[in-house]
Amino acid sequence: MKSKQNSKIWLYAVMLLITVLTVGPFLITLFMAMKSGSEGIYTSLLPKDPTLANFVTAFEKANFGLYFMNTAIITAIAIPLNLLFCSLAAYPLARMDFRGRSVVLALIISTMMVPFQLYMAPLFQLAGELGLRNTHIGLVVMQVSTAFGIFLMRQAYLRIPKELEESAYLDGANRFKVWYLVVLPLVKPTLVTLAIFTFMGTWGDYLWPLLNSTESSMYTLSIGLAQLSQNFDGSNLKLISAASILTTIPTLLIFIWLQKYFISGATDGAVKG
Amino acid sequence: MNREPVVLPNVKTKIKATKKKKKFSMKFLTPWLFLLPAIVILATFLVYPILEAFKWSFLDYKIIAGTGEYVGLANFKEMFADKYFWVALVNTLTFLVIVLPLNVFLPMILAVLVNQRIRGAGTFRVLYYLPVITPMVVAALMWKMLYSQSGIISEFLVKLGVFDGPTNLLVQSSTALTAVAAITVWKGLGYYMIIYLAGLQSIPKDVYESASIDGASVWKQFTKITIPMLTPSITLVSVMTIIAGMKVFEEIALTTGGGPSGATTTLVMYIYNKFMSLDVSIASAAGIVLLVLAIAASLLQMKLTSKREDDLRV
Repeated sequence: MKSKQNSKIWLYAVMLLITVLTVGPFLITLFMAMKSGSEGIYTSLLPKDPTLANFVTAFEKANFGLYFMNTAIITAIAIPLNLLFCSLAAYPLARMDFRGRSVVLALIISTMMVPFQLYMAPLFQLAGELGLRNTHIGLVVMQVSTAFGIFLMRQAYLRIPKELEESAYLDGANRFKVWYLVVLPLVKPTLVTLAIFTFMGTWGDYLWPLLNSTESSMYTLSIGLAQLSQNFDGSNLKLISAASILTTIPTLLIFIWLQKYFISGATDGAVKG
Repeated sequence: MNREPVVLPNVKTKIKATKKKKKFSMKFLTPWLFLLPAIVILATFLVYPILEAFKWSFLDYKIIAGTGEYVGLANFKEMFADKYFWVALVNTLTFLVIVLPLNVFLPMILAVLVNQRIRGAGTFRVLYYLPVITPMVVAALMWKMLYSQSGIISEFLVKLGVFDGPTNLLVQSSTALTAVAAITVWKGLGYYMIIYLAGLQSIPKDVYESASIDGASVWKQFTKITIPMLTPSITLVSVMTIIAGMKVFEEIALTTGGGPSGATTTLVMYIYNKFMSLDVSIASAAGIVLLVLAIAASLLQMKLTSKREDDLRV
């Protein structure tokens, strides 16, 4: 009994140590963001005279209100479209026998391997030709239908017992009906997972917006932050810290809102289905 | 009256035939209707640019003019003669060698820890997941601050006696790549933890129960049940790490920018720099090398893990 308690203490000690590593950088950044103008940047961990002035400055002076809107708009475009297109496309790849299935599947999975950097230049040019430069749609062309999403949804479908769909077919339902009414509700947790992946991929995307947003009016938070960090010293560090926290807060809120769903999500589909 | 018996069956078979035909074409069309939107988008914004990149690598492509002449393998020759290309290649591989074992094992340990039935395990999961939800640019800049010469990491290392004076790991060519890799590992811990957690929770509980009734120790249960049952997760984590690790960009571009003196210029940074100097054909050629590496690594990894699965079956 005593050794069991001892091992529990060790367990907590290790887990707390890991927490310091994962959460510590946020706290340090938050403290940095709350330091007032005159305070040295690295002199102490905690702010001596905590202030929110840096957040206000970031929002007003550094245009983060606009960048915030741009980022919110592209995220709101990407999530519903990616969920719809991926959950549609994955279904026949998981459940239907048709000529070309293995080719399509192999093609989609192999594109997951292709580094964005290979085709960013041609994509940059294509976006220009299609009039997508400095547009919101142009910023999300990579997010509205992803190979990863199709892969993820297919995995979820494969975990569902076939019998459920078969009994629906016996009742006379067609493929779309079965997909929409029987299959999709069973993979809801995976849909939430994919929504979060899409959110994170879009919200934090850097390289493509960096290329496609040539006008500062179309900057996203990531780009604005990167621009701000060009001057990486002195009092500007407090501003960068504040802008970093501002950029992270929405992702944090959404994670707090959906975290249980998300963390149990990946397995729920398998167990319940 | 006389004809009726002859005509009727004919009509019937005709109806039957069209019905069958319709059913057949629907059966043929349905999967493609499901696939259509995704395929159109992926073909336009993914497959087409990829094919273009291949084309450009054989052209002397001018992105501003939008044209280029066929130059055969000249781009590849020029690239292979470039000293910095080889430096970038070695840096990429070194980066992977640092990241891969850490990414496979650390998140597994985290998953096993937070999978324990103890109070607060759920909270720890959330706290371990925080780095994942951090936008990559934010993570890179946070760590750049931590690494700074007067920052906490430098202070810590001086106290440990690793360095005599304040040192920024990002500006030392001997440590920069490892320092950057640490950001990548930190950022991915929680994500891979979740993948392992899903794998752990799919292991039937009664397997452990019967094992502990048979007197198997916790360690034995871990090595004989958990790890073998996690093989699919390990494969997934490895492949994802290799593919993601080769594409790493922000944590380098925003911290070291590829320096000091090329110490963190990976293949991706090399491509980016070539693109920025409008050498898009060289960038495409280097991109193809990156692609070949990614494919080769994935195939090797899958082969290795499937072999281990076969061994287990025997």
